[in-house]
Amino acid sequence: MGKLEIKNLHASVDGKEILKGINLTINDGETVALLGPNGHGKSTLLNVIMGHPRYEVTEGSITFEGEDVLSMSIDERARKGLFLGMQNPSEVPGVSNSDFLRSAVNSRREKPISTYNFYKILDAASKEVKMPFDLATRSLNEGFSGGEKKRNEILQMILLEPKICMLDEIDSGLDVDAIQVVADVIRKEQANNRAFLVISHYARLFDLIHPTRAIVIINGRVVIDGDPSTIKRIDTQGYEFIKTELGISIEKEEPEMNKVSLGSCAVREAIK
Amino acid sequence: MERLLINKDNIASLPLVSEVSLDTNSFNNEEMIIKANQVIDILIDDLSDETNLKINMQKDSKAHIAILSKNLLKHFEITANLEENAKIEVFFADFSNGESHNKVLINLNKNNAKAFWSLASLTNGKDNKEFEVSILHNSTNTIARSDNYGVCLEEGKLVFSGISSIKKGAIKSKTRQNAKIMVFDETANGITRPILKIDENDIEAGHGAVVGKISDDHLFYLTSRGLTTLEAKKLITYGYLKPIMNGFKEERMKEEISSLVEKRV
Repeated sequence: MGKLEIKNLHASVDGKEILKGINLTINDGETVALLGPNGHGKSTLLNVIMGHPRYEVTEGSITFEGEDVLSMSIDERARKGLFLGMQNPSEVPGVSNSDFLRSAVNSRREKPISTYNFYKILDAASKEVKMPFDLATRSLNEGFSGGEKKRNEILQMILLEPKICMLDEIDSGLDVDAIQVVADVIRKEQANNRAFLVISHYARLFDLIHPTRAIVIINGRVVIDGDPSTIKRIDTQGYEFIKTELGISIEKEEPEMNKVSLGSCAVREAIK
Repeated sequence: MERLLINKDNIASLPLVSEVSLDTNSFNNEEMIIKANQVIDILIDDLSDETNLKINMQKDSKAHIAILSKNLLKHFEITANLEENAKIEVFFADFSNGESHNKVLINLNKNNAKAFWSLASLTNGKDNKEFEVSILHNSTNTIARSDNYGVCLEEGKLVFSGISSIKKGAIKSKTRQNAKIMVFDETANGITRPILKIDENDIEAGHGAVVGKISDDHLFYLTSRGLTTLEAKKLITYGYLKPIMNGFKEERMKEEISSLVEKRV
């Protein structure tokens, strides 16, 4: 039995089905690269595993260490050891980063951590991600640069010691040095037998963290689940070969706006 | 600078306060006169259920007033009249219970008078509170800012109303009105009615009003790190009302405000 098992998972957002039967098993110590064109369900999958209220699961199951994940609240999932490093971490005005981190650390402990010990682990983790310590005293992600937000996600991952780390485009917005820092942390955590599920559009991060498997999601389904050589191939050739070799047509992202041409009544078109 | 502490027991009879530290001020019932050039710092630690304060500020005087309300409140009223170059700053942390209609009226009567009003209010249970905050610019170069922040929980109802008005002839005056209410529950009710009344051209004026529910993304973010929904709400409320703490200099008052958030959310 795998650590995290996903069976026939269907999920929709605002009534539109995005995941159309995902089957996936993640085991201890694996690092899985999650690939696929934009808008085909990679981020949706991670958000559904974490329990974002915007996504509705219509069919299928997710179990973690044999327990039903879908019946758990978001915070229960977190306390069980699931972690999602977000693509666009929220800015929460007024909430101090260190108050938040401390509450998060305490949520996993029976007795609250002492101030001294908390600042000790915070200081160590800040050094590891090379994040200036003053970011801890500022409001949560407010006014952080893109890179600082991503480092803050990684900092949280270090402090919370999750069993499964899901990272959604953690390398976007990072410069070369920062990617190296993030990769170093991931490699260190890999040695602790943690499992990783990592979305990225760039081979650079994968070159540094050596995934053990690669998965490609297209049209809301897993179409490739195999060895990491797929990453290189997609990096050099794009997703076209999947069309020809597997005979799968790749659905284009639907334009969000109604088409309104000159000469028609825009209001009438919009309310159709 | 002089310090003045007013609490629930002595606010109804302000003259008592003169025994504490003030002999330069004269009080007439509940009327306080802040004399020319005087700088005063007032802390009001809890209000009685009916409070009516009048403050007359003479030329070049300055007052910093911090108010914490944490029990039953029926009516609170404060009227301030400012002379030339006088400046008043009021920070009101409102954690009162009950049904209350509260009025704030600040008259900027002479050139270069300034008023900065900040309110943070929390309603829960069946509280029903209205704050009518009006600032009248009656003279030239007068400056005012009115910041009103609220959090509505359970079946609480909170209304921010009032008028910022610039009279004809009050040239170069500046006024700003902000009202923001965060609504937590479907049964809670938050209303803002910001009104600007401007009779002069050569001025600056602005207002902003927002009523919204707590952000799903913020809640998701905090709970995805293991905080319960309640802990997350407390942290968000605390963060939202925190700016009011800048008006309280004493550490024990800041701690009391945090523990009120802790208790009421």
